[in-house]
Order: sequence, then structure tokens, then C-alpha cells
Amino acid sequence: MKTMNTIKAIATSALFIGFTSCSSDDDDTQQPDPVQSEQVVNLAAPQTGGQGQPIGGEFAKFNFETGMQTTSDTDWDIAFRGTTIAVNGGTVTGTADEPTRNGNAGATIASGTFASVATADGLTFTQDVDASFAVPTGSDNGWYNYNPQTNIISAIPGKILVFRTRDGKYAKVEILSYYLDQDSSNPNSGRHYTFNYVYNPNEGETSLQ
Amino acid sequence: MGLNKLIICLLIVIPFRKLFSQETTKDTIKTTNLSEVILTATRTARQLSSLPLPVTLIHKKKIIQSGTIILNEQTGIITVSDESGFEGVQIQGIASDYILILIDGVPLVGRSAGNFDLSRLTVGNIKQIEVVKGPSSSLYGSEALGGVINIITEKPKTETLEGNVSYRIGSFTQQDINLDIKQRIKKFRYGFFANRFSSEGYDLNPDVEGQTVNPFENYTLNGRVFYDFNNNLSLFSSLRFYDQTQEAGFTFDDTVFEGDTKEQEWNAHLRLDHKWNDKFDVDYELYYTNYTANERLANPISDEVLSDSDFDQKLLRPEVRGNYTFAKAGTITAGLGFQYDELDRTFFDEKVTFNSQYLYAQYDVNPVEKLNIIVGGRFDNHSEYSNQFSPKLALRYKLTDAIALKGSVGYGFKAPDFRQLYFDFTNSAVGYTVLGYNVAIDKLQELQAQGQILDVVVSTSELDNPLEAESSIGYNLGITYKKGKWNTELNLFRNDFKNLIDTRIIARKTNGQNVFSYVNFDEIYTTGLEVNAGYKINENLNINAGYQLLYAFDKTKEQLVENGEVFVREPQTNQTVAVEKKDYFGLVNRSRHNANFKVFYNIPKVKANVNLRLLYRSKYAQFDTNGNGLIDSYDNSFIDGYITTNIAASKTFSKDFNVQVGANNLLDYRDENIPALPGIQGYVKINYQF
Repeated sequence: MKTMNTIKAIATSALFIGFTSCSSDDDDTQQPDPVQSEQVVNLAAPQTGGQGQPIGGEFAKFNFETGMQTTSDTDWDIAFRGTTIAVNGGTVTGTADEPTRNGNAGATIASGTFASVATADGLTFTQDVDASFAVPTGSDNGWYNYNPQTNIISAIPGKILVFRTRDGKYAKVEILSYYLDQDSSNPNSGRHYTFNYVYNPNEGETSLQ
Repeated sequence: MGLNKLIICLLIVIPFRKLFSQETTKDTIKTTNLSEVILTATRTARQLSSLPLPVTLIHKKKIIQSGTIILNEQTGIITVSDESGFEGVQIQGIASDYILILIDGVPLVGRSAGNFDLSRLTVGNIKQIEVVKGPSSSLYGSEALGGVINIITEKPKTETLEGNVSYRIGSFTQQDINLDIKQRIKKFRYGFFANRFSSEGYDLNPDVEGQTVNPFENYTLNGRVFYDFNNNLSLFSSLRFYDQTQEAGFTFDDTVFEGDTKEQEWNAHLRLDHKWNDKFDVDYELYYTNYTANERLANPISDEVLSDSDFDQKLLRPEVRGNYTFAKAGTITAGLGFQYDELDRTFFDEKVTFNSQYLYAQYDVNPVEKLNIIVGGRFDNHSEYSNQFSPKLALRYKLTDAIALKGSVGYGFKAPDFRQLYFDFTNSAVGYTVLGYNVAIDKLQELQAQGQILDVVVSTSELDNPLEAESSIGYNLGITYKKGKWNTELNLFRNDFKNLIDTRIIARKTNGQNVFSYVNFDEIYTTGLEVNAGYKINENLNINAGYQLLYAFDKTKEQLVENGEVFVREPQTNQTVAVEKKDYFGLVNRSRHNANFKVFYNIPKVKANVNLRLLYRSKYAQFDTNGNGLIDSYDNSFIDGYITTNIAASKTFSKDFNVQVGANNLLDYRDENIPALPGIQGYVKINYQF
């Protein structure tokens, strides 16, 4: 029963992802392409296995350029499966069902408020390699904390993910919640990302504000 | 806040107003109470009021009248529940882990994750409880950072058989049966004490499976023998036995597991007091204690065992100490001893043992009549961690007959415990591992060989140097005013802790979980003030009020907050904001304000007494809920401030028959997050004295 509901929820929410972005930010007319500040709501990132079983399942891929989820094998920057985040850069880490990397994306985790991470300049980006994701997995290693008492995954505050996209542009991401509608009271509604991001569409530009 | 400030003002102003207005009165009543003798502070009998240290003395009479263990009704002492619901004391904001508990000067062992569970102690045969606040490692060694609580039993005095038997019944079918007899037969004295205490427990949160406190019953037996060979040589021996069985239960994956938790404790204490002459006496002491705990949980239907854990700790300690009193130049106290510790428990590979030798000396002198100086130090040589030297200096200066200033500074330490060094525990449900410091490298290699380790996140050279003892330096500065009907004390305190031992991640496992081990890193402080004011309206009516202001913070975290490096999610938007200084609440389980107010009233005409005690504890936090490692105003584990009201009344019928009725938590304050505070607990006690 529960699993059925979850699957339904995942399916419905996946349908709506494309419609849920909103836009803001001041119009700095000096630049040809303004920096985009958006929010993605309830991006479903299902996985199979876990809890001792081998983890598998398609990653949910995301493209900063369109601001949309994608099924493209090439035009994606980052991808989500459960708590794992892959980048389109480097090699497969060795888990099942991973997408092939054909871009030059990289990731790093900066510390601060979302606004305080103003530039990608000076940051060192890593890529996915054998047995290791660029965004470290595991509780308190990367972006989340898992509380074994409550079984809740929470995004660690102050962890701002900064990405180099597949084509050398920069974006920063703050994950707000891992639960559908940001409501962690039902652990079964997990694997739904809501995040804010800022994307600078100008190649080589590191400004993130 | 307004109320709190008012209380402080009243407490400070009232006594001093009195002080200045009465300065010229000459007819002070000599109130020196000869029974107010303290042994713990100096290891010699010292008049309570003459001591340069902050000391609290709780008489048997007050305990009996209050009908409960009243440590937490004393200013500056509260009892708090740890994560497992065990109650421990907190003194000047310092947790139970750092407070040494003694019976007749010898230590009790058997702590659960550092906490000493006070409910193990019954007080039916005691004379008084002495509490020395601040570091006392200069006399007592490890664990005496926050203070020492010494429970002193009563020595038989009369030739006729003396004693009492009592029965008490209260809410939750709490039954307390006591038998205490003692007698002196010329040179021989003996005392025998037996106690049975049981309760059906209670449940503060019926929605959660299991009770808050499970049913239990415990027994304490204590036999003591005294023999005076002659005026100069006397023997004291005591054998104590404690046994508790408590039901235990745990629900895991919808399966109920049931079982018992059993605890047993033996204490054997032998002491020979030898008075060589008027100036010189020596005590030879031998002490042995053994504490065991066992918990077995199994499925009652399938007999599947969920957990079966054992804990068996032994301590053997011979000690010799002596006092030499110079004609007019003070007293030297010195002692030396050897301590053997042993622990065998589940999650240890093998039985582990510690050895330590120690030596201490203290000089207690009045260079001029008005000045008392105590200077002392202790050296501990330990098999598992670096040697410790614990000095202490305390001064008291008598400004006038009524006013005295006192100040002290001392060093205290706590040795890394067995668990921090030898633990090897993997949580079967979740999969994380906790390793003791001394076994971490070996165990890590074992896990690596089994392919369980993804990567090691600390350099193993960091695990080479031995774990340091936790240590503190404590400062106390006070003023006392004792005149006529007033007895007032103000004390400022500060305790700086370093090398506190906590867990950190040392490796990541392939199952996504972590391997933790212990490390010295935290630096914390607790600081504040304590005020206590007692006023005797007349021989029969006594009022006492006390207040403690407390600031308890982690220095490292304070710095991080200042640097804007601690974050939290703003609950409305879920976006990161930096924690500001005003948001940092301080350490868990610490209340900024604690206050007490007590009235004791004797009605000799009808041989009755009645008392009312109010205890206030301000808001405190239980644990970090938002994962940033500290308590901030965004956390939601706060427990609001509350008042507990305790009353008791007793009346003596004929000559030796006494009935007491009382209620703790009369106003029925309840919070499911305060496990040690069930609703109103009424009781009736019948006592027959012979």
C-alpha cells in the first residue's frame, strides 16, 4: 500500500516539475545574459535497493541551462538518485544504472549562506571518479545529515553546492528539503528535492549573484 | 525575566540592608552550631562556617522533614535527566560525569555513559550529606572537577538499642520500607540498615510504546561495625549491598522485546583510625567495590534475544593518610594510596584494568587570626594516561565577626574512562561503529580487512598520542554574612574546562555510516553566581531562598558563531541563515536561572512540623535539533521554565510514633520531555522510633 502511494506521488510530482520554477533577480543590463535565480520544487529522485541492498535506478538529471529536468544523455549537469548527486564530469563511480559522463561538470561544497557564496572564483572543483562522487555521500559527509532516531534526512544548513556545468558555466545550489512539499513528517515522501539555484549563463564568468 | 531580576535584587539587597542597619548592634547571639562539621572539604573535621570553600551541608533532619532526597533543593545544585532518563546532579552547570560521589569518603563506581544514577542511593541511615563545590581533585583525584558529594552515615552513640522502622507508600505504588538499628556496647558499636524500595513506575507519554519509568524494586543492606581498642585506636568497617531489578522493554520493527535490567553493588570499607598523640593521627583505609549491571531483552514468544549486555566494574583502593597539627602553625594533611580499577563488559574485547598511585598533601593554616589559608596538591600516576598534578589554593578572610570573604582556585581532572578507551560497538540496526581511543587503530584495520571501510578521514598518527585527561580550573569568590537570624552567602564562580572528550568521525564505512572514536577537543566554561539567604524568624520558623545564575558555553562554538560559521535553516523559507550571538543558547540541559524558596515551620506544642519548598528552573534545551552542533533559538527541543512545589507535614504521636504526609510536585506540573517529573506524587509515611 505504502509503496503504491509513494510511486503515485513520485509519478505525479515528476509531471509537475517543469511548471514549478519562478523567477526574480534584478535586471543588470550590462550583461548580455542575466544571472538566473530560480527555485526547483519537488524534483523526484527515486532509487531502488538501499538498506543493505545494492542501490540502483535511473538518476533524475537536471540541466541548468533550461532549468528543467531532462532525460537527455548529454545535456545534463547534475543528477539525483536518493541522497546521491552525480555530476556530468569524470567517470562512473561504479554503482548500478549510472549515466555516462560526457561533459566537464564538477562540484564543490562551499560554506555560508546562499547569498554569501558570491563567486565560483578560487574554488576547486572535483569530478566523479571510481568509487567516489564529487558530492560526498553519507550522513554529514556531503550535503545532508541522517538522523537514525527519526529517520529524517535533512539538508545541512550552510552547505552550498557550487557546480561547474558540463560546458564550463557556474551555478550554486542550496538544497532546502529532501521531502515532498518540504514536509519531512512522512519519511515515505522523501527523495523529493526542493532547491534554490543561481546560474550564470555566461561562459567563464564566475559571479554567482 | 522581570521576575528573575526581582528575585536576584531581593536576595542581594535584603540581607545587606540588614547588614548595614545592624552594624552597631553588639548583642549577637552565638549561633555556632556544633553539629555543622564538615569532613569532605579538608579531610579533617572543620566547622562549616570557617571553610574557605563553597560547601553545602544537608542535615538528616532536613531530609526527613522534606520526605525526599533534597540535593536538588539546594542552591547551585540541580538534578537533570540524561538522554537515557537517568537522573544525575549538576553543580554550577557541571554535569554529573564530573562530580564525584562518595559514601563515608570512598567513591562509588558504575556510571552509565558517564552519568551517576542518583536513584541508587537511599538515605535512611545517614547523618548528613556534604557537598563541596568546585574542583577538589587536590584531595580526591579523578572525577572531582565539579565537586564532591559525600554521604556520611551516622555513628551509633547510645548504649541502649536505638533505631527506627518506617513504611511509606505513595503514588505509582511507590513503597519504601526502612529498618535502621544501632547500638553501642562499651567499646563496640554496630549499625544495621535495610531498605526496600519499589514502584510500579509511570508513563508520561501513553502514545509511545512502553512506560517512561518501568516497574522496579531495589534492596539496600548496610552493616557497620565500630570498635574502639582504646582511646587512640579505633576500627570502622562497613559492608553495603544494593540490588535492583527493573523491568525493561523495547519495541523494534513492531516486535516487543522484554526482559530485566539488574544492578548489584557491593561496597566493603575498612578503616583503622590511629591517634599517635595529640598532634598526630593516621587513618589506614581499605576499600573495595564491585558494581554489576545486566540487561537482557528477548522476544517472549520466540525467545529471540535482541540484546544481552553485561557490565562488571571493580575497584580496590588502599589508602593511608595522616594529620599533623603544629602547636600554632596549622595542620598538615597528607595521604598516599593505590587504586586498581577493572572493567569487564559487553562491547569490550577483554577485561581491562587500570592502575594508579597517588600522593596528596595539604596545609591548613591561620597565619593571622582572621586569615585561613588552605594550600594543597595531589599527584596521580596512572597506567593509561599522562600523570596529573592537581593543586588548590583557598583563602578565607574574616572582615568582621559577621562577614567573611572567601576565594579559591583549583585544578580538577577526569581520567578518560574505560568506554572512551576500549569500546567496540556497532549499532546493529543502523550500522555505525564507535571505537575506544586505545583500540581504534587495531579495530579500524580489522574493519578494513573485512572491506567495511570506504576511507579513513583522520591521519592515524593523530591516534598515536594518548588521550588526555579532561581537566578544569575552577575559581570561586564569595562573601558570607552570618549574624543573628541571617545566614547569607554570595558566590561567584567560573570553571574553565579543556580537553573535554567527545566523539568524532574517524572513517566512513561502505554502508554509508561512520566510524566514530573519541578525541580531546572541546573547551567549555560555566560561570555565574549563587546567592543563598537563610532567615530564622524564630526558633521554629525558618525561611531560605536561593538563586543561581548560569552561563554555560562552548568556547569553540562561541568563536564559530562570532565568525558567522554556524548556520541554521530559517523555518519559513528553509534557507540558510547564519546563527548570531544572541541566538546561541549555550550547552544542553543548562538553565540560565534556578531558584528555590523554602519554609520550614516547627510546631513544638503539637509535636508537628510542616514545610513548603518551591523550585524554579528556567528554560533549557535537551539536544540540538537542527544539526548545526549547538543549541540556538531555532532549535525545538526547549523545555519551558517551570516550578515544582513540594510540601510535607509530619506529626509525632505519643513519644515515638510519627506520621508524615506530603506531596512532591503538588501543582502537578508535567511535561513528557521531563522523564523524572511525573505528576503529583503524594505519599504517607509511618515511622516508629525506638
